[in-house]
Amino acid sequence: MEKKFDRNTFGRRLKSMLKVDFRRIFTMPLLYIMVGISFAMPVLILVMTTMMDGSVSVSPQTGVETVIEGFDNTWQAIGAMSGAPMSMDLVGMCNINMLYFFIAPLVGLFVSQDFRSGFSKNLFTHRAKKSEYVISKTLVCFVGSALMLLAYFVGTMFGGAVSGLPFDTGAAGVIGIVMCMAAKILLALVFVAIDLLVSVTAKQKTWIAIVGSLCAGMLLFTMVPMITPLDSTVVNVTLCFAGGLVFSIGLGAVGNRILNKTSLV
Amino acid sequence: MNAIEIKNLSKNFGSKQAVCSLDMTVPKGAIYGFIGENGSGKSTTEKMICGLIHPDGGSIKLFGRDYTDADVRAKVGVLIESPGCFPNYSVWNNMKLQAANLNIKNADTEIQRVLKMVRMEGAAGNKYKNCSLGMKQRIGIAMALLGKSDLLVLDEPINGLDADGMRIMREVLCDLGENHGCTILISSHILGELEKIATHYGIIRGGKMIKEMTAEELEESCPTYVALKTKDINRAKANLACKYSRVEEDEAGYIRVYDAKEPEEIVTYLYENGILINEITTAKIGLEEYYIDLMKEGR
Repeated sequence: MEKKFDRNTFGRRLKSMLKVDFRRIFTMPLLYIMVGISFAMPVLILVMTTMMDGSVSVSPQTGVETVIEGFDNTWQAIGAMSGAPMSMDLVGMCNINMLYFFIAPLVGLFVSQDFRSGFSKNLFTHRAKKSEYVISKTLVCFVGSALMLLAYFVGTMFGGAVSGLPFDTGAAGVIGIVMCMAAKILLALVFVAIDLLVSVTAKQKTWIAIVGSLCAGMLLFTMVPMITPLDSTVVNVTLCFAGGLVFSIGLGAVGNRILNKTSLV
Repeated sequence: MNAIEIKNLSKNFGSKQAVCSLDMTVPKGAIYGFIGENGSGKSTTEKMICGLIHPDGGSIKLFGRDYTDADVRAKVGVLIESPGCFPNYSVWNNMKLQAANLNIKNADTEIQRVLKMVRMEGAAGNKYKNCSLGMKQRIGIAMALLGKSDLLVLDEPINGLDADGMRIMREVLCDLGENHGCTILISSHILGELEKIATHYGIIRGGKMIKEMTAEELEESCPTYVALKTKDINRAKANLACKYSRVEEDEAGYIRVYDAKEPEEIVTYLYENGILINEITTAKIGLEEYYIDLMKEGR
């Protein structure tokens, strides 16, 4: 007579996987460190650049004088207006978009710890299907990334207030900034999907996971300012959401296949 | 019904054949001692049963279902190589994670139950990385026991345990097998311990199953012998060899006579030939010797 087993449905498996991952990420010091850095970074950038604004540095070799230009407006730390030329100076580079590179260590360490500790054996012994692992990791890392972006946003407002920079929303308006943040948060899904694929491929090799994720993320990085300008609209949000969905499903399927076909220990 | 039924299982790592056309049957409720030399394919087979390695060929059935069936896999507990715990988490938090992984309701009660079973309830608050090797093994067993598994796959679970730890483990595993109907697949090099608990054995060499038998069959296959010690070993051996067909000297310096019916007849026979015996006893070869002999035969 065949033994009866409780139905272990996809929903049940996903729920348990999410429980594990959420419990893990919120008990991981790494998340809090990264959120803390995300908060502190704009405060330091805004305060320091405001202090140095207008100061002149002279190159000892060429004697050329360079005037350091700081931020004119707090929201510059979040993004630039659409159509604005991409600047490669301090103001253009030191903004929230840097955080997309921070997603790589978050995802890389989060996933590789499963494999390095051997907990993956417990996970995958109970999971014949790997889809819930990929879905859960995507969602949890997305939440972690969103928290980092929100921390940067809060840090920007705090830094702006401390350094006395104006909060003039200009043509973007409050709605534009909200849309910009929503678009940026949804765009994080694209980077999470890329980083997750690299991480499940690298498994316990943490450094390969992080460096590989950074390199892969670099390919898309130039698109970030274009797709999430300060004056974002619903179109930008939808575009980021669609991109995130396509990348998560597409790369998630590849990650799932890799987990199914390769050794998990 | 069999808990594990493996047919023609194969796995290659590059050009190295780790498991080759392996057949294996573990009856439901059995404590199956899986024995083999290092690199014989035990761990690879166990990892394939647990779905951690993808087989190149063959089939694995767990309780009559394919091993990839999500329902049956939810009832498999595992301890392979290490317990799979996060070093910076406390024992309790690691157990909580595993309980969440298994979707266990009343997780706290269940964790307390399994920690008590392996006598680790006092160490729940300790950080995993600060636990001794023996404690870690017990935690691994506790994690495997969470959720009342129907099948336990344990790879070297008694390594690193002290005498008391081994006794506890023996009691726990016997209790699970006898009172809870749990099937246990256990691999170990400590054959003396395995012999005390196993109801079935499988011996693997070079990725192939060379022998499967029950504990009763092993008992029948293991001959009894008379072991004796004397100062004049060489003369005693020569004399005994004239009367008995199988006379051997073991590593401890005892002469073993396998086809003697009673020790008394040997005492009389040697006395008549002027040889005095210091010590004489009747014994039976155990799993370890049976296994070593079997391995020698194959070489």
